[in-house]
Amino acid sequence: MAAFATLASVYSTPALSHGDTRLNDTTAESRSRALNQFLASVELKAFRIAQASLRHEDDALDAVQDAMLQLTRAYADRSPDEWRPLFYRILENRIRDMQRRRTVRGRVMAWLPFRREEDDDEPDPIAQAPSPDPAPSARLEMDEAMQALESALHLLPERQRQAFLLRNLEGLDVAQTAAAMGCSEGSVKTHYFRAVQALRARLGEFEIEP
Amino acid sequence: MSQNEEIASKLELNARVVLHDSLTRIDARTRSRLNQARQRALAEVQKPRWTLRHGLKLMPITGAVAAALVAALLFFNHAPRPLLAPTESGQPLEVLDLLADDDGLSLMEDYDHSFYEWAAAEGDSASEAPPEASG
Repeated sequence: MAAFATLASVYSTPALSHGDTRLNDTTAESRSRALNQFLASVELKAFRIAQASLRHEDDALDAVQDAMLQLTRAYADRSPDEWRPLFYRILENRIRDMQRRRTVRGRVMAWLPFRREEDDDEPDPIAQAPSPDPAPSARLEMDEAMQALESALHLLPERQRQAFLLRNLEGLDVAQTAAAMGCSEGSVKTHYFRAVQALRARLGEFEIEP
Repeated sequence: MSQNEEIASKLELNARVVLHDSLTRIDARTRSRLNQARQRALAEVQKPRWTLRHGLKLMPITGAVAAALVAALLFFNHAPRPLLAPTESGQPLEVLDLLADDDGLSLMEDYDHSFYEWAAAEGDSASEAPPEASG
């Protein structure tokens, strides 16, 4: 059976005699599929990380979208193992750009006599609809825990928050986090340690109901 | 393991649970927008890229365009010169204006041969006459 499987894998490979075009199409297709899987696996976490830094849903979505585009434009040919740290590196740069722009915009707007409210979007009725979840009390508890964590994370310096989220939400190890943050592993350990210390000082042991 | 590390591990563990739980509660609208963003990004991969192969494929076309440009340059460099030579001011159209003007034509019609012949003879005799002695 194993022999059949081996043969099947050999015969299922694209024929080289059809020319490079066919081979290239197959390669591009498989790369596109791999990228799709990768982006699908990171998009929600990336959104949460961006949201924790920017505290604005639309800005967070923009940052994630820009990071996706940048990755596919510039690094699609890289090895899939490199995509994760590269993607988060791009995302962090994008978040920093948006924060800078927001600071500048805030300074300019402060001089204007008639400035708009910061968020005047109409609320989406679907997003505002109550959740059909059967256990709202448990949900409420997790919501409160998340709000407390988000508030504590927001008070952290950018690099500490970054290190904490990349390690605990995305599950990157120290080396990958260092690659994503563009710093040494020693710096990551320092940022991470300080983040944990600061969070512990604010949240205690952060007990949650299982 | 120290007491601090143990507490930190518990904190990290609980934070992970809360953070991952928050992912499951991202609303459908946001998920849809993220999905659209992903599809847009993937469309970038499908776009044809400029490679050496493309360059080689386009070589005959590029060569033809270059040859046409060279031919056009040669043709315009050897184009016949204008029939009217430029005047001192460099504008041959001035001559055309003179000819087309009604006054110019009337001058041509009233051309007085005798006056011009006399003027020419006077000029010649003046240049041939010996200079007058001064004093």
